[in-house]
Amino acid sequence: MAKSPEVSPPVDEKRSSFEREALVHLDVLYRVALRLSGNAADADDLVQETMLKAYRAWDQYEKGTNAKAWLLTILRHAFINEYRRRTRHPETVDMDTIEPFAVFPEIQDEDPQGAFFDRIVDDEVLRAIDQLPEAFRETLVLSDVEGMTYQEIAGILEIPVGTVKSRLFRARQLLQAKLYDYAVGMGYIKGSPA
Amino acid sequence: MNCRECVEHLYEFLDRELTPELEREIREHLVDCPPCGEQFDFEELFLKFLRARCRTQGAPPDLKRRVLRELFGE
Repeated sequence: MAKSPEVSPPVDEKRSSFEREALVHLDVLYRVALRLSGNAADADDLVQETMLKAYRAWDQYEKGTNAKAWLLTILRHAFINEYRRRTRHPETVDMDTIEPFAVFPEIQDEDPQGAFFDRIVDDEVLRAIDQLPEAFRETLVLSDVEGMTYQEIAGILEIPVGTVKSRLFRARQLLQAKLYDYAVGMGYIKGSPA
Repeated sequence: MNCRECVEHLYEFLDRELTPELEREIREHLVDCPPCGEQFDFEELFLKFLRARCRTQGAPPDLKRRVLRELFGE
């Protein structure tokens, strides 16, 4: 009589659920790690460490919930605890003193469709994001690059939703101003530097 | 809804974070008010531009191999 098929051992189940729910977010983790740490070598290490920690703690993760947010929380903690100290120092910028600058009124006559954005290459945009204060940068990356909701971002960054909104507003304005300045400098648009 | 109230909710609207009711009020205002409409279009385009420019990069293939080796000994 044929033997009934063997039941997969738990280790295989753990591995397959981890591959299905966690490893699929490798690109997201890498992009966020790169923007947080500012260099590829640290981003590699940070992602690897995040995946190791996540795999060890996989039993604590409630399957089928929000693995992306859970992984990003682990990544951010790893960054704060182990990397920030030796890579980038947290800024002492008083974020409330940063003057908001709205780009739209400056370009609405010359280029209301924002066609000048099309001439700005990827590297320049990433460079401008990297120049944002860390609190703005991480909020903007989670929202505008990775498409997370305010609630998810609030959970990952451990801040109120209202703070997510205000940081996002300022981050976007600052980034627009930087890109606008760059576009004026490159002659893509006449304008006047922000 | 007036222009000031409408613009105050600009990003929440574009981020789809508003209640359906408030979202509808904004849509109605945007139909009636071309200047606000232009500003919303500009900001929407900016967000699309950001996403397109920043998502081209993924994890390097080496990193994926490194992670798999570390986790599963492969």
